[in-house]
Amino acid sequence: MAITEKTPLELGPGDSVRYAERPLGVFTRPQGGRGWRDWLSTVDHKRIGILYGVSAMFFFLVGGVEALLIRLQLAAPEGSVLSADVYNQVYTMHGVTMVFLFIMPLAAAFSNYFIPLQIGARDVAFPRLNALSFWIWLSGAIFLNTSWMVGGGGADCGWFCYSTNSGVAFSPSHGVDFYAIGLQILGIASLVSSVNLIVTCLNMRAPGMTLMRMPVLTWMLLITQFLLLFALPVITVALFLLMFDRLFDAQFFNPDAGADPLLWQHLFWIFGHPEVYIIILPAFGVVSEVIPTFSRKPLFGYEFMVFSGIAIGFMGWGVWAHHMFVSGIGPISVAAFSLSTMFIAVPTGVKVLNWLATMWGGKLRFTVAMKFAVATVAMFTIGGLSGVTHSVAPADTQQTDTYYIVAHFHYVIFGGGVLGLFAGIYFWWPKIWGHFLNERLGNWSFWIMLVGFNLTFGPMHILGLQGMSRRIDTYARGYGFEFWNMAATVGSLLIAVSVVLFIWNVVKSKRDAPHLPPPGPDPWDGRTLEWSIPSPVPVHNFDTVPQVHGRDEWWHTKYAENDEGKVVRVATVEEVAQTGEATGVHLPSPSFWPLAVAVGLPLIGYGLIFNLWLALIGALLTIASLYSWALEPVDDPDAAHDHHDEDHEDDEDDADQSDDGEVDQP
Amino acid sequence: MRTLTRRLISWTLVLMGASAATGCASDAELDTFAPQGPIARELHSRGVLPVFWIAAAVFVGITIAMVWLIWKNRVKTYDGDDEWPAQTHGHVPLEIGWTVGFLVTMIAVAGIMLWSLPTVDATEDNTMAVTIDDHSVMWEPTIVVVGNQWWWEFRYYFSDQMDLADMRAHGDAKTLPPADIVTSGQMVIPTGEEVELIITSRDVIHSFWIPALNGKRDAVPNRFSPWKIEASVPGFYFGQCTEFCGLSHSRMRMQAVALSPADFQAWVDSTSADAVEPTDPEALAGLEVFSGICTSCHLIEGVNDDVYEGADQASGAAPNLTHFANRSTFAGGIFNTYNADGSLNRTDLEAWLRDPNALKENYTVPGEQYRGMPDLDLSEQQIDDLVAYLSGLGAKPAGWIIEATQVE
Repeated sequence: MAITEKTPLELGPGDSVRYAERPLGVFTRPQGGRGWRDWLSTVDHKRIGILYGVSAMFFFLVGGVEALLIRLQLAAPEGSVLSADVYNQVYTMHGVTMVFLFIMPLAAAFSNYFIPLQIGARDVAFPRLNALSFWIWLSGAIFLNTSWMVGGGGADCGWFCYSTNSGVAFSPSHGVDFYAIGLQILGIASLVSSVNLIVTCLNMRAPGMTLMRMPVLTWMLLITQFLLLFALPVITVALFLLMFDRLFDAQFFNPDAGADPLLWQHLFWIFGHPEVYIIILPAFGVVSEVIPTFSRKPLFGYEFMVFSGIAIGFMGWGVWAHHMFVSGIGPISVAAFSLSTMFIAVPTGVKVLNWLATMWGGKLRFTVAMKFAVATVAMFTIGGLSGVTHSVAPADTQQTDTYYIVAHFHYVIFGGGVLGLFAGIYFWWPKIWGHFLNERLGNWSFWIMLVGFNLTFGPMHILGLQGMSRRIDTYARGYGFEFWNMAATVGSLLIAVSVVLFIWNVVKSKRDAPHLPPPGPDPWDGRTLEWSIPSPVPVHNFDTVPQVHGRDEWWHTKYAENDEGKVVRVATVEEVAQTGEATGVHLPSPSFWPLAVAVGLPLIGYGLIFNLWLALIGALLTIASLYSWALEPVDDPDAAHDHHDEDHEDDEDDADQSDDGEVDQP
Repeated sequence: MRTLTRRLISWTLVLMGASAATGCASDAELDTFAPQGPIARELHSRGVLPVFWIAAAVFVGITIAMVWLIWKNRVKTYDGDDEWPAQTHGHVPLEIGWTVGFLVTMIAVAGIMLWSLPTVDATEDNTMAVTIDDHSVMWEPTIVVVGNQWWWEFRYYFSDQMDLADMRAHGDAKTLPPADIVTSGQMVIPTGEEVELIITSRDVIHSFWIPALNGKRDAVPNRFSPWKIEASVPGFYFGQCTEFCGLSHSRMRMQAVALSPADFQAWVDSTSADAVEPTDPEALAGLEVFSGICTSCHLIEGVNDDVYEGADQASGAAPNLTHFANRSTFAGGIFNTYNADGSLNRTDLEAWLRDPNALKENYTVPGEQYRGMPDLDLSEQQIDDLVAYLSGLGAKPAGWIIEATQVE
């Protein structure tokens, strides 16, 4: 791609490239600005990060409403809020929504926004690909949810969608078709983004920033991208087979035609278990930034934190069959996967102790971000330890597919992943928006969420050990499930209250912001490069790309240790922070084509399900947009010569530096 | 804020205490912490409890450390640059220390796993004498367990014994070799014998689980997986399908009834016989209704003898009703056949025949394969006749079984 994009620049701006930038002779190249249209064509990693974050929070509410419906149905025995059919759809879509439409894109928001800032880059390696991954993700998310309206309901097979129950005979509505195609579309988005961010991390780091000087958040996000890169092709294969089975009668999973229904389980969990680490590692990264900042200490054992992250990433590939201990795989397989599962607890435990060691002897200031971060460590520890209890395969035969497992993975994914990302939201909010979130409201929201979370998922341990099965839409009286189910439902309502408080906090903070002092570039006395630039971050990120001399570069710009080992200030923030006033920084130009490519994909999806002609239209749109994109130069010559806005003047001076065809890196 | 924090902490502690207390409630029929049979007991004491204690110890250690750290190191604000603590970047021996510490802990957990694995995997070669059709056979206690949407079938092979290898060679779960006894919903086992289970499914993946007697094992279509259970004393043990199996997964239950060897033999004698011929006119009318409508899916030995093939079900099968009245639950183990006083539970039985979909969601779209029982549009007269007929099929189970069936 870089080659196509470089050519017009080499030709030099002029009539010869005019036709190339308007490939169909219709559209005018977007120029960037502040209107809503500019959000559609933006290639700015920060705006894309915000788009990811806002959409993810929207789907958090959707998945949350689904969760509340589940809890209302299960509050009392013989619940009648939902029919069995609707319940199965709701719990399936709750899982799919929370995993693919909330946590993953929220982590993607952090990746997009902060990887370039933490490594001192002006943007990601391929800005238009970045826009592409967001728009594809959004089109997949919308596609998936339209199955409620046009597909005869949501998928009703669980997020794991085991064959043979996923076949047309057992799930005759179009829900599973939407699941199979929707997740493929979402998978494209994650794959595109993972390649982009891996290249960004490896190639775009500021001078002096060696890999072992990268902030831990960036490290964990980098590992996450590698997991995505290798995990998504596996699930894509499985989904592709499922799609062909359902739409074109391919018989991949029909046991009567000789298929093995366990094949799906293997493919699903080879993706599905690394997926757990895809969810949790970004939160680990956030916690590893927040705890040091509010302990006034560097992260304890940086190398061990990085390498245990890598070890988790590697070992995560060798544990998938622990989801299948009772499926009838042989005892040797069971023992092997049981062992590998146990030993993944070692690097995870090392991480927990390193966080504690970071707090050891520190000065802990409990801002809301710090509270969320410490709660993440505590709650994740519970989830990790309950995981150890059912890594013992024979014990797992009593626990698997009960509410004990539901409790376990919610402590990991909600207690670890979601609380961790909330810590990040409170921590980086001033950097992104230029004002703080209200700490008092944040405190209420935090405590209500923590209590609500434990009240919801804590009792599920007991319910599971009492023998309550997972994925049941109702339970009979007299099995001892009544009390704790009611408690869990009350807890879930508390979580809802806390989320409402958070939303109110967002609104109120924005409204109060003009009357409060601005946070400045470095409100928390931060350690990494994003705190050296103004808040909110100027469009070009860094006035001058920083030279990196060590870990926690920004902190070392402000402080040094004297001969007695005491920390002394060497510069104030005002002295060393960048002002964001640079002009003439050369930036990639916006483009509508990523959006156009993404619009075609759901059309292909609807077409495959309802009418192949529609699929043809979608395919033509996507292919035409891809060609138009290829013919569109990465930098708009018009932008440089006809519109002297502040980001593009002095373009001539930058001309030779823009030879890399992408973002400038002086 | 500080007082609120404390109050929240104390509430949490109270709740945790309460949870520990009620967690052991005796009315939990599926309680995994109340093993009844020797396999489940060994699994519990060798596998479950040791690892719970280890996890609890680590949890307590980390939590105490964390609370102490928070308590000791918290500050309200940072007053100035003087407040910087000593900057420790790491400590390699310490890191190696706790890595080794976790490794050792996990090796202990691995030991627990390897020690407890045989409790669920090793099999005994036990046999018991069973009389079937007037001749005695040495039966290696084995039951073929077949999952269907949404009920379980149990098949007993005495005369022509089938082991795992035979079933795997047969391969097809939809048309299994004819058995001496085919029953559903309730599995009857002899006490004091390890019973091998060969678990399979006719449609989707289910999971067979009687928590008091052992863990669970999935029923995978056309795969035959070994499992085992054992009860040492006569008793009534509850179970629930635990692998999501579609629409009415939550209403797919089962029970194991453990009988002394003598009672088991009596059960074999009565259950291997053909269905009782009805005598009173209402029951005879019920037989007529059954022969005209129900036989398109259900089978009653002595009435219609073609094995399952042809049932309008995705699984190709529906419960064998030959000894319907002999079982204390029906419709996938979800309704009691008898009331606590031993009388027939006419209410649920009639309601089920009247509108099965209202009690348990079924998928019965005309023209597509049925999953579950369709609404047959029976008249009240037909329902009464059928109830009269079905309730006469087989001897009423012992009083203690009927009593144990009542959950509420």
